[in-house]
Amino acid sequence: MEPIIAFAPYTGWVYPNETVFEWSVLIAVYPYLTGLVAGAFTVSSLYQVFGFERLKPVAHLALLTSLCCMIFVPTPLLLHLGHPERAFNSTITPHLTSAMAAFGFFASFYVALLMLEGWFAYRPFIVEQAQKRTDLLGRFYRLLTLGSYDVSEHAMRYDKKWIFALAVIGIPAAHGLHGYVGFMYGSLKAREWWSSDLMPVIFLFSAIISGVSLLAVLYVTSCKLRKIAVDLACLKGLAYTIWAFIMVALVLEGLEFANIVYKGREGVDVIMQYVTGPLLIPYFILQFAIGAITPFLWLSYMIWRGTTGKALVVGVTVCAILVLFSVFMMRWNVVIGGQEISKTGKGLLSYQMPFFGKEGALMAIILTLAPLGLLYILTRLFPPWADEATHAHS
Amino acid sequence: MSKQDTKPSLEARREFLSKLGRAATCTGAAVGAAALGVMPAVSAKSPPSAEADSFPTKDYDWTKHQWAFGVDATKCIGCLRCVEACKHENDVPRNAHQFRTWVERYVHIEGEDAVRIDSQQDPVNIEASGSEKEFRFANRYKDAKVEKAFFVPKLCNHCTHPACVQVCPTGATYRTKDGVVLIDHDYCIGCRYCVQACPYGARYFNEEKGVSDKCTWCYHRITKGLQPACVEVCPVDARVFGDTKDKESPISLFIRNNRVQVLRPESGNAPNVFYVGIDKEVN
Amino acid sequence: MPKHIFRLLSLIAGFLVVAMIAIPLLTDKSFYRFGHYRADSVPEIAAQEPVLQTANYCKGCHAARHAQWSASNHKSVTCEVCHGAAKGHPQNGKLPIPKDTAKLCTLCHEAMTGRPKTQPQVQVAQHSGGQQCAVCHNPHSPKIAAATTKVTGNAAAGKQRAAACSACHGADGISPNDTWPNLAGQNAAYLVRILAAYKSGDQKDVAMTPLAQALGNADIQNLAAHYASLDCPTAPGKSAIGNAVAGKALAKNCAACHGETGIAGNPAWPTLAAQKPGYLVNVLKAFKAGLRKDPMMAGVSRGLSDADIANLAAFYAEQSCKTTK
Repeated sequence: MEPIIAFAPYTGWVYPNETVFEWSVLIAVYPYLTGLVAGAFTVSSLYQVFGFERLKPVAHLALLTSLCCMIFVPTPLLLHLGHPERAFNSTITPHLTSAMAAFGFFASFYVALLMLEGWFAYRPFIVEQAQKRTDLLGRFYRLLTLGSYDVSEHAMRYDKKWIFALAVIGIPAAHGLHGYVGFMYGSLKAREWWSSDLMPVIFLFSAIISGVSLLAVLYVTSCKLRKIAVDLACLKGLAYTIWAFIMVALVLEGLEFANIVYKGREGVDVIMQYVTGPLLIPYFILQFAIGAITPFLWLSYMIWRGTTGKALVVGVTVCAILVLFSVFMMRWNVVIGGQEISKTGKGLLSYQMPFFGKEGALMAIILTLAPLGLLYILTRLFPPWADEATHAHS
Repeated sequence: MSKQDTKPSLEARREFLSKLGRAATCTGAAVGAAALGVMPAVSAKSPPSAEADSFPTKDYDWTKHQWAFGVDATKCIGCLRCVEACKHENDVPRNAHQFRTWVERYVHIEGEDAVRIDSQQDPVNIEASGSEKEFRFANRYKDAKVEKAFFVPKLCNHCTHPACVQVCPTGATYRTKDGVVLIDHDYCIGCRYCVQACPYGARYFNEEKGVSDKCTWCYHRITKGLQPACVEVCPVDARVFGDTKDKESPISLFIRNNRVQVLRPESGNAPNVFYVGIDKEVN
Repeated sequence: MPKHIFRLLSLIAGFLVVAMIAIPLLTDKSFYRFGHYRADSVPEIAAQEPVLQTANYCKGCHAARHAQWSASNHKSVTCEVCHGAAKGHPQNGKLPIPKDTAKLCTLCHEAMTGRPKTQPQVQVAQHSGGQQCAVCHNPHSPKIAAATTKVTGNAAAGKQRAAACSACHGADGISPNDTWPNLAGQNAAYLVRILAAYKSGDQKDVAMTPLAQALGNADIQNLAAHYASLDCPTAPGKSAIGNAVAGKALAKNCAACHGETGIAGNPAWPTLAAQKPGYLVNVLKAFKAGLRKDPMMAGVSRGLSDADIANLAAFYAEQSCKTTK
């Protein structure tokens, strides 16, 4: 009988059971998506909670983006599980010693929070559409109003309080949603490449830069598609955010690697062999040099020179794309990289990613792009544009 | 009091009462929800009606045993009958990459610093056996200048503080009262966090069943007074199994009469497979 | 409170209540009984049927075989290791009898780096030339018992007693005709064993049986010591009965016990070098027919044709029995 699983090639000595890669590319896509959720939400909160007024043009787009990514977050996990129909076991009987048990609660809480905040933000628009439309879509909006068309001052005050409260709660919630994944890796003593106290924080900071970068790209793209001028102050605000958080992310990632090398624990020679060999390009070139240091330097230059206009737009967009790529590489290098270093500390394996199949490259691409598709639909139903006449309540 | 004055006080009273009512409803809902949430945990902790019943079977009471395993690596001849027997006994996938138990060979070649280690997934050994379904060590070092060589059987260590049990999000894997770490194949969701967490590489994912799997010390045999399959077939007594509650059991004697050690003690998992005769590179 | 807030809160509260009710309903009722797992899973796992049945199970029907096996030094190798798991046997038919013993037995007994020296192991090519292990070794009692005969005789006493044997076997142990074997220089342990076998009736021969029965155990030892001390036949005889070259090729399979040139490595087995070819032919035929009894020789001779027997005899007859020892 043909084997239904692919066995990974290896060098050196690995445990027999290690020749099957248990966590595939989809398990790298999952934290990438939750990272985008957390990062996009951070932009929204920077406006709602910290009063960064210059980010107003992207505030609602950020919320919608966060929600779209959040809806697709469980998909890579469900595709990965051996028994997806039992997925709720971890929510019905969560094993409280396991970081993964937090997923059901964080995810459901967070998707509810996002939907709630979006609902509050868009209420005047929803009420208006409910009253204006007579088609099927009108029914949809009317359902969303929960039967209340109250947009009085009194009601709006309540709404404002709720938005603020949700935005405040949403920050630790988002960071919990993404941070627990980092903790899952960081707390695992079986793998030296993962085991690090810094891991949750690294995940969080790289999540933030990915989300903010996504917003930058989406904002510029939407402006181009809608043929309106890019709000340079807003874009610069996003650029500042990316720039600040890249610095922290770089320091943390650098510290983590430095710690592994400095401590020189058993198995460090294989790690060094791996990092200077198969991982040289994905880690040092793609994740760091091209994906992090280049945008950092370019952003620094633009900030120093006070770049504006088209040069700023192009510069920030390209930097944002590079950062998005770098953060994906970071997830890849952690998830796949960790499994390529054998638990024996004496061998290396090689992940062979299939293109088709439930957990192949094509599925990974689809799942990464699907939120954008959903976002397109949602921006039609709930236009986030700050400049339109019929726009969402801020 | 003028009519103008009663209105505000009336309003105030109404406001107060409605606030009180709302508060009461909220509290009641909260308390009710909390009670419902606590109920299952509380009701489960109350002792079952038939306390005296032997668990898990009427002929076997798990409170009377505490199992442990011993491996004498000075005796192992690398025949791999244990690997075969385990695959047959426990319906382990018939390939050379997923094992509940396996044997490692350590060879020091003269003039080389690094030890050479191989096991059943090595393509050279697969070729020697003829297929992925049969197991044999290739006699690949017969012409080499070998300074030291030996075999080490490996299996799940059934740790006292298992990392795999800790990380299971659902409670599908657990440690029994008689010291065996088992997997509930009807509850496991197949996330494979446990496979990642095990420092010994003892676990694997069974694609066909969609669940994680590992050595169970043949729980279905030991609860019937039989030995685990690998212990049963070992022709040289390299594997030892028994009840540490019985001072004269094979394992108690093994531990008492030998200097035993465990793999990766620094992991804090407190494994329960005791090794005699392993070497510095074995981990 | 605005209407929409109230409705929203009710929705949320309603959802939480449903969740609170659903969770205990969906939880398996045996969960939490002993810890964070489904307690019913333990008896489910314990109830699985064992596949390997252990040798005790086989004993029920195969008592004689079991007795032979458990008295042998293979008693640590359970039946199911070679025959496969006994679950469903005999209902599902017979268990396989391994044919390719050379593949099976060498799993444990091939000389391999890392195998403890206490494990009996051989260089396969030199030991058996690649032939099946079961040809010489009974898997249920693999040790070849003959290897343990004790030799304690006095050659001088044996010489006196040997007068009665010289009519057939020659005064100097070299037989006058082709039918009766040379005894000069033969391994003492073998001679002891074979005489004892004739005496006890384990081995039957028209001529030797009454003669051996007249011997005492001391006589047997002395005779063996006497003949062993004699010089073996010097000039190897060229035999007309077979092709010695063809015989040499076949003799590779005999080398493990009888030596490459017919000089036995272990004194429990007879040296064949320079032996009378006629005698060798008769003996091999007798083994093949089961008239001469030896479990090992029976197996070896089974596959030999008459031509093979003649060739082997021719080969051994030509060999020099002089050793360097």
